[in-house]
Amino acid sequence: MRFELFIAARYLRAKRRQAVIGVITLISVLGVAAGVASLIIALAITNGMRRDLQERLLGSTAHVELMRVAGDGIRQWQPLLERLKATPHVTAAAPGLYGQVLISRGARSGGGLIKGIVPSDERKVSDLLQAIKKGSAASLEPVSCADPCRPDTLAIPPIVIGKDLAESIGASVGDTVLVTSPQGELTPLGLVPRYQRYTVSGIFASGFYQYDSSYAFLRLTDAQRLFSEPDLISVISFKVDDLYHADRIGKEIERSAGPGFQATNWMEQNRELFRALKLEQIVTFIVLALIVCVAALNILIALTMMVMEKTKDIAVMMSFGVTAAQVRRVFLLQGLLISLIGTSVGLIVGYGASWFGGHYRFPLDAAVYSIDYLPFAPKITDALIVAAVSLGVSLIATLYPSSSAAKVLPAEALRYE
Amino acid sequence: MTEAPIMQAVGLTKLYPAVAGRSAGDLTLFRDLDLTIQPGEMVAIVGESGAGKSSLLHLLAALDRPTSGDVHFGDIRLSQLNTRQASEFRNRSVGYVWQFHYLLPEFTAQENVAMPLLARGERRGQAMEKAAKWLNEVGLGGRLDNRSGELSGGEQQRVSLARALVTEPKLLLADEPTGDLDGKTSEAVFTLLQTLHRTHRLTSVLVTHNLEFAARCDRMLRLRDGRLEPEV
Ligand SMILES: Nc1ncnc2c1ncn2[C@@H]1O[C@H](COP(=O)(O)OP(=O)(O)OP(=O)(O)O)[C@@H](O)[C@H]1O
Ligand SMILES: [Mg+2]
Repeated sequence: MRFELFIAARYLRAKRRQAVIGVITLISVLGVAAGVASLIIALAITNGMRRDLQERLLGSTAHVELMRVAGDGIRQWQPLLERLKATPHVTAAAPGLYGQVLISRGARSGGGLIKGIVPSDERKVSDLLQAIKKGSAASLEPVSCADPCRPDTLAIPPIVIGKDLAESIGASVGDTVLVTSPQGELTPLGLVPRYQRYTVSGIFASGFYQYDSSYAFLRLTDAQRLFSEPDLISVISFKVDDLYHADRIGKEIERSAGPGFQATNWMEQNRELFRALKLEQIVTFIVLALIVCVAALNILIALTMMVMEKTKDIAVMMSFGVTAAQVRRVFLLQGLLISLIGTSVGLIVGYGASWFGGHYRFPLDAAVYSIDYLPFAPKITDALIVAAVSLGVSLIATLYPSSSAAKVLPAEALRYE
Repeated sequence: MTEAPIMQAVGLTKLYPAVAGRSAGDLTLFRDLDLTIQPGEMVAIVGESGAGKSSLLHLLAALDRPTSGDVHFGDIRLSQLNTRQASEFRNRSVGYVWQFHYLLPEFTAQENVAMPLLARGERRGQAMEKAAKWLNEVGLGGRLDNRSGELSGGEQQRVSLARALVTEPKLLLADEPTGDLDGKTSEAVFTLLQTLHRTHRLTSVLVTHNLEFAARCDRMLRLRDGRLEPEV
């Protein structure tokens, strides 16, 4: 093998009699490098996207949520909550009451999803309240009201809303917004929607558009009042100690909650998102792998031309005892060397660019991409896969030229003309 | 000479089948050709252009296969060799020189000469050492690091001679080794060949158009109409 490497390396370095071959060789090296670099960068971005989305999702959503199958809400929830908190692997649990509403300020309005919460519990299952950028969530703490609390005698209750929602209705901290619930009240005039004023006490920005554009938090009691459902919650959210077994732990919670309950986990809830990301990654990989294939085609051309140029030299080598197998390996090695150089350059450029991209964040439009900067998360396994693909494809490209080199007949090639 | 022959061609036939659409019939270069070469001989083969001299030499070097017949080299029958064994035969038992030097242009003179040794897996240092020794012997001790493009025609042919002999083969086959050289250089290269033949106790078969050189060999054979005839 040392002999073959000696010849192949020299052939690669030597000045060509035909300059075209040198140019094509250079193009193949650059082609492989470009393909590998773009693969690495693209995979780093899709990985980063998935990692960041997952991080944010996990920060914002509970790992497991327990609801009634019938959707009729959970009554007498405190003992249930206490009991379920003791389930193995559950680290925290929080009650919540969801409801679709219209949030408006003056003439501007937007759809929102109200979540009535108990902040001290909620903080343990979700990071949204930690993501307050303006104002605070302190006002969401439950008020102790010994007297029968009559809402109209109290100050206007607080609400915490997402940044994009706040922008779309033009609300900032201290403003009053009107929340209209479609779950109306039956009055002598028929079913009329309920509405209630709230003071914006905080605005959160999770960086996750789905939340920032629609979520609004109320005190649990205020939400219950808004939806006319005293002492009812719609969901219990859980944090667990093992993310990737959320499904199994969810089943456990479901079982101990008893019949009529259903648990969903973060993986189920975002299955479509992750599937789409995976698909996007595969498609990106295939598209960019085509660059590598084109580069491999260049290798094929360069080597084929080189074999044609070297036919006499090959014949001479065979005449002094170089075997056909050795000749084949010379050109195989040469293709691999081209590919190896291109792949190495590509890996260096790709990782360099990924590092650079991660270091100097590129802003993104959050409404389109869900996150507001371009994340890079290069993985070592990607490098291995990309290098293997690149070398493998190049190896295939060398098969034809190297076997045609091995088929040279010395007596024919050296016939003096 | 009572010794066993070093090489013996027996009933050698070479014909090129007619190419469809071209010329009539097969081209028979020679039929039932016999040739016996004794160890230490220097044999010259002469003949018209196209007589089949080069083709004959190819068969003796296992670079090509005869249509029928066989070539014996000691115990070896060339027809029995597979391609791998034929490669090994060429590497170990024969040295071959052409009309053209066929040096590999990317390599220095020394590397070119070392090549047959490197090909058989010899260590680089050792191969280069032997190559230097042989280049010295052909009078090019000072041109080790020159590439073929930097050498004159005579020097190139000397390097190719060194490359043919570096493996210390028993048999040297040379196909018009001076054919590309001018008179003076031809003379020098042929003299070198004779010297090497003698000092290394080679057996040499040499195709040439130069009857003067041929006359200086031990024996001269003429290839004519597919037969080898002794020439006086
Ligand atoms: N592969 C082939 N197919 C058909 N004919 C061939 C082939 N190879 C050689 N020939 C023919 O065989 C004949 C002998 O060729 P060869 O090269 O052996 O002659 P030569 O005696 O060496 O001639 P010269 O003195 O010109 O070198 C030529 O007529 C050549 O055209
Ligand atoms: Mg000839």
